[in-house]
Amino acid sequence: MAVEIVMPRFGWTMEEGLLAEWTKQDGDSVRVGDVLFTVESDKALNEVESFENGILRIPPNSPPVGSTVRVGALLAYVVQPGERAPFEDQPASTLPPATLAASELATPTAEVAGGALPAAPDAPARPRHAVSPRARRVAAELNVDFTRVRGSGRTGRVIERDVRAASQLRPAPSEVRASPLARRAAAELGVDLEQLSAVRPGQRLERADVEAAARQAARPPAAAGVVAPATKQVVPVSSVRRLTAERMLAGAHNTAPVTLTTEVDATELVRLRTQLKSDSQAAAQPIPSYTDLMAKLVAQVLLEHPALNARLEGDDLLLSSAVHIGLAVDTERGLLVPVVRDVQAKGLRQIAREAAALIDSARAGRLSADEMRGSTFTITNLGMYEIDAFTPIINLPECAILGLGRIVPKQVVVDAAADPRATPEAGRVAIRQMMFLSLTFDHRLVDGAPAARALQRIKQFVEQPFLWLVN
Amino acid sequence: MTTQPNQADMLQLYRTMLVIRRTEEQLAKSHQAGLIPGACHTYVGEEAVATGVCANLNQDDVVFSTHRGHGHALAKGVSPRELIAELFGRATGVSRGRGGSMHLFSPEVGLLGTTGIVGPNILQAAGAGYTFKLLKTGRVSVGFFGDGAVSNGAFHEGVNLATVWDLPVIFVCENNMYATEVPFSKATRNPQVANRGPAYGINACAVDGNDVLAVYAAAQEAVARARSGGGPTLIECRTYRTRSHAEGMRDVGYRTRDEVDDWKTRDPIQALKDHLLASDLAAAGDLQAIEAQVQALVDEAAEFAKSSPWPDPDTATRYIYSEPGGQPHA
Amino acid sequence: MREITFVDATREVLAEAMARDPSIFVVGEGIGARGGNFMTTAGLFDRFGPERLRDTPISERGFVGLCTGAAMAGARPIVDFMFVDFILDAMGELINQMAKVQYMSSGRLKMPLVLRGAIGIGSSSATHHSGSYYPTFVNVPGFRVVVPATPHDAKGLFATALQSDDPVLFLEHKSLLYNKGPVPEESYSIPFGQARIAREGQAITVVALTSMVKKTLDAAEQLAQEGVSVEVIDPRTLAPLDINTILESLHKTGRLLIVDEWFGPCGIGAEIGMQVMDLAFDDLDAPVRRLNCLHTPTPYSPTLEAAVVPNTQTITQAIRDLLAE
Repeated sequence: MAVEIVMPRFGWTMEEGLLAEWTKQDGDSVRVGDVLFTVESDKALNEVESFENGILRIPPNSPPVGSTVRVGALLAYVVQPGERAPFEDQPASTLPPATLAASELATPTAEVAGGALPAAPDAPARPRHAVSPRARRVAAELNVDFTRVRGSGRTGRVIERDVRAASQLRPAPSEVRASPLARRAAAELGVDLEQLSAVRPGQRLERADVEAAARQAARPPAAAGVVAPATKQVVPVSSVRRLTAERMLAGAHNTAPVTLTTEVDATELVRLRTQLKSDSQAAAQPIPSYTDLMAKLVAQVLLEHPALNARLEGDDLLLSSAVHIGLAVDTERGLLVPVVRDVQAKGLRQIAREAAALIDSARAGRLSADEMRGSTFTITNLGMYEIDAFTPIINLPECAILGLGRIVPKQVVVDAAADPRATPEAGRVAIRQMMFLSLTFDHRLVDGAPAARALQRIKQFVEQPFLWLVN
Repeated sequence: MTTQPNQADMLQLYRTMLVIRRTEEQLAKSHQAGLIPGACHTYVGEEAVATGVCANLNQDDVVFSTHRGHGHALAKGVSPRELIAELFGRATGVSRGRGGSMHLFSPEVGLLGTTGIVGPNILQAAGAGYTFKLLKTGRVSVGFFGDGAVSNGAFHEGVNLATVWDLPVIFVCENNMYATEVPFSKATRNPQVANRGPAYGINACAVDGNDVLAVYAAAQEAVARARSGGGPTLIECRTYRTRSHAEGMRDVGYRTRDEVDDWKTRDPIQALKDHLLASDLAAAGDLQAIEAQVQALVDEAAEFAKSSPWPDPDTATRYIYSEPGGQPHA
Repeated sequence: MREITFVDATREVLAEAMARDPSIFVVGEGIGARGGNFMTTAGLFDRFGPERLRDTPISERGFVGLCTGAAMAGARPIVDFMFVDFILDAMGELINQMAKVQYMSSGRLKMPLVLRGAIGIGSSSATHHSGSYYPTFVNVPGFRVVVPATPHDAKGLFATALQSDDPVLFLEHKSLLYNKGPVPEESYSIPFGQARIAREGQAITVVALTSMVKKTLDAAEQLAQEGVSVEVIDPRTLAPLDINTILESLHKTGRLLIVDEWFGPCGIGAEIGMQVMDLAFDDLDAPVRRLNCLHTPTPYSPTLEAAVVPNTQTITQAIRDLLAE
């Protein structure tokens, strides 16, 4: 008998909770006391434990992570090995338009301990990919889950080198959240689930996502009006590229983006950084980069301007008291955005350390999905390429993104505003380190004036760093 | 030139034939009683051949025998105890329970095996002769076989090789006229054996296989020839088995009751007994004493066999290959 | 070190053994004054005479059976059968008698007998002079089966054969007989059941027999140029078989190919494959494969003969295919 797992009530006034995260996945074996998922309510994170032994089955139309769910709403089931979950008996029409046929839902979850394969009576036999005996042995030795490894053997067999490669890739094998159907489709269609998941942080991958990714790969690269060079070269579109493309399209077209630019005097910032560089006490530590410095002071600004630190979830704007800043990193595989969490609470040195580690991981291809999730604001720095101002695209579901330009010495008029009685011509010319800031915000959520005020505050913090030190 | 056996020798001949007869009778009885799990081909009626030949052999001369080899084994020196225990499958058997009737081995007394396949022992007898000649030991080798083997290539090749190489071998054909149920006359256009001798250039003779003294004489000459480097001899002994081919097999269809009864009147043991008594070479009482002794011997052997232990199954895989510390070969 | 041929190496051992042990004699066709079809006994007739180098009539069953009896009676015969195809006439003597005497006599009779002669496909010898048949002798309990691939191994293994109290089939691939190789002057013996690692490697284990050893080494060398590291094992004896060396190698590489000129069905590769399945299943990264001659009687014409036998190219391809598994 399938046991229903619903949104529980924490505290007697709770009427709804935010489904923060599934700690067990669809198909996992669970025991009494295992934490199944966490719920955020009243700013507290609550762990929900299983009261049953069995297998967790999450229906495809279960409320997505991050959504707010009424107490008592159905989230999942715990079934016994060999038992079908109730949603597996539903006719096709009640399923989301991800084109899942009823028979396809009866996925054998043979990874579950002890159970016979619960094959649907009419489902065609699905071949499992083979695993060589040697690969199994090595997987046990290296603590690798070989069921999640793609095989390079001739028959799709997982062989030793696949297991060894997997053990070197990332520490924990379970970041990729994907339905069993998505996993199977990924194996069959040759889609790298990790990469797909990396550019869709926080999302549980469905089979449709995988199929879409595969279709993208199958299409020839879009010519976009560019004249073909004389020597043609066919470059397959990587999954990172594909997903970046999707995200950028969504950021560009599903928001009302407005970009504000301002040129700031970053001389003090540069001086600050020089001082940090020559700090002999912190010799072994990474020197905070300009991006790190900007992240710190932007976090301070966002505490004062929380509207720009909001995330859109469905119809709700979720304001957060924490500032998690995504840092856009250019890597060989493409654009990745690791997240430094709780920037508002961390010192500069810590931010610098974490950012440096994340950027290393990103460049080495070792970023976990967790490390790319949950940002509330993003900073992108093209200054090293001598770019001044640009129009960064919002990193959905955030509502604003700050682009940094190069810091370049320029002749500017200074002291002009110091004396209100002086004319502008009375000011003197000095050489200052100038930098453009480009803030794109989503006008659906934030109006121009508040956004401008926030940008102005950022400018102030750049020009007078002591301000963000005293707040 | 042959010498007649003296009285003691003759009594020994009598005794030996009697041991064979009584043991075979005991085995036939035991087979019927279910004590013999495998085959049992009895030698009843042919005792004179084994006895007459083996009486001319030393212990270190060797004998290669057939599926019907109990007589040769006993005549060469295997005890009735060891023979019966072997057929009973016991660990005390001459082959330690591994061989049964058709794979009797006792190198200690020069029995280098009975065989379940017709023919190879002829070749092996020649081979032993080769060794004796090569190593100049003065020993001789005897190969027993039946009329059924004469049409087999082994006879042809073995006799040929032994003759062309002058080997100290005696080939003794026990022509009992039947190979299982196939009469010799149906197996070949020449249902005789000794007359094949000239074709190979081998010395050959035919004797009455039920006359132990005739067999003795022929064998004596052949052994002397072999030992002196004169090469091999082929002796055809015309004889008859009065029991069926194998115990438990029906003895009908290929020969008549009359024929069997007729040959029973030419019983070799009776013939010698008659001769001994008629020639005053032995008194009736002496012969009776021997008879009683032999009966007791065989009875005791049967009891010994019945109460002997079975071989340990854990030893089943031993001796496939030469093991260190094993006894050297004969 | 001096280099002598395979057949010279065994003859050297034979001469020394015959001088030492008067119970050793050789029988076979043409092995007397002529010195043997393959020169296996060249020069020995003059030294040891006709009783010890005994020319036989064409009588394989006869002289194999005779030697069986001779061994039972205290001599140490050598059957020089020339082509293994000929002794098939003596299968009854071999299997029913020779292999079983020790067992039937509970060890009271030994069987110190060596049968030696040529095996293998080549030189358009056609189907009555190209056999190997060793799986049959490996299958029957009681035989030792020896298949040296080099003159060095031939000398050491033949020495062991001549000291063994078991019947030994010493099978010499005819294409190897006149190959020269380094052979120490001093006496030495190589125990049965000890394989030789002919080439060390990491990516795949290839077990190769007799004539296939050289071809496999050539294939391995070719593949090494491409950065593929092949380990080649020569078992040297098939009964007893040194399975442990093969297992150790497989533990390292994960892949096993057996290259055997003789037939696949019920062959040495089948035996090794099953032992590996049983004893080293968890070391297998890919199925065990075998490369054999085609399952046909051996044809005469050179183009047909070449087509049925594995060669360096087909061996190389088989290795590649198994690495791609």
